[in-house]
Amino acid sequence: MLNRLYSYTVAYFLLFSVLLLISGALLFADKIGFSYESVLHYYLGDENSFSTAKSYQGVLKIILPHIFAFGLFVMVVLHFLIFTKKRDTKEIYLLIYLTFFSAFLELFSPFFILWGFHFFAYIKILSFFLFEGSVLYALFLLFKSIFFH
Amino acid sequence: MRFTFINNLKQDKSMKLLLNGLLLFIVLYLIFDIFVKEHTLGLSTTAVMSTLFGNEEEFLDPMNKSVFLEYIHTEIFFLMMILVTLSSVYIRLFHKKTNALLHVNLLMISALLSLLTLAISYFYIASFVNIYIFSFFAWHIVALYMALKSSWELNLAK
Repeated sequence: MLNRLYSYTVAYFLLFSVLLLISGALLFADKIGFSYESVLHYYLGDENSFSTAKSYQGVLKIILPHIFAFGLFVMVVLHFLIFTKKRDTKEIYLLIYLTFFSAFLELFSPFFILWGFHFFAYIKILSFFLFEGSVLYALFLLFKSIFFH
Repeated sequence: MRFTFINNLKQDKSMKLLLNGLLLFIVLYLIFDIFVKEHTLGLSTTAVMSTLFGNEEEFLDPMNKSVFLEYIHTEIFFLMMILVTLSSVYIRLFHKKTNALLHVNLLMISALLSLLTLAISYFYIASFVNIYIFSFFAWHIVALYMALKSSWELNLAK
């Protein structure tokens, strides 16, 4: 009974996580946009749309709560995988490295854009999709483990 | 969550103290969340409608799309962390009771409903605000009940 009840909680947690990922993607699309130009315009400003360039402090203010939130969220999602048959497999190690690494790049790539490395706009977009994809894959593994084992 | 592995929580004094602290803070969060929501978004149909869609008579602008998305994104994160923690404590203490599953389901479904109906009312059907308000109070009441019942079980029940 105890394990059954916990699996319910984890299942609901999966649903909330999917909502979090969807709202994050919508927010990214609305505020920044998924094209190279839109990312550059968001951080470096754009005369046509009257938007000003972001400052280092401004970017830091946005990413600061996200540093903690990303770390906590990724840890909570991935730690559930330890209770599945996938525990201690190469797949899980790779998933853990990939999720944390993509989260790191997603958070810190704006600084490189501000320093003049414009190709980091691509890294920002790529790392965002990589992060969302790896978390979704972790959620899929959890879903499979709850409902098909 | 180490407490999920301890056999008898009531006998473990340190863990009991820690869980009491956690439950107290959850109760405080739930109470103050109602005050904050009353101030920011509103808790009546008219107030929520005015915040989301503006009000010409009171010269209120509608809520910006990115502001709304930021709001709901933050809400989802806090909600999921609080609800998972609270239900884990509750399940650990009441897993032998048959209605524990019902309480967890009620809590999670009403919380999910509050998030979804708020988003639906902003983007599609404004009248869903009523369901949002109902589900908002529903999950707060169930969460308060679960937190207080857990405290009772930890400290006062035989």
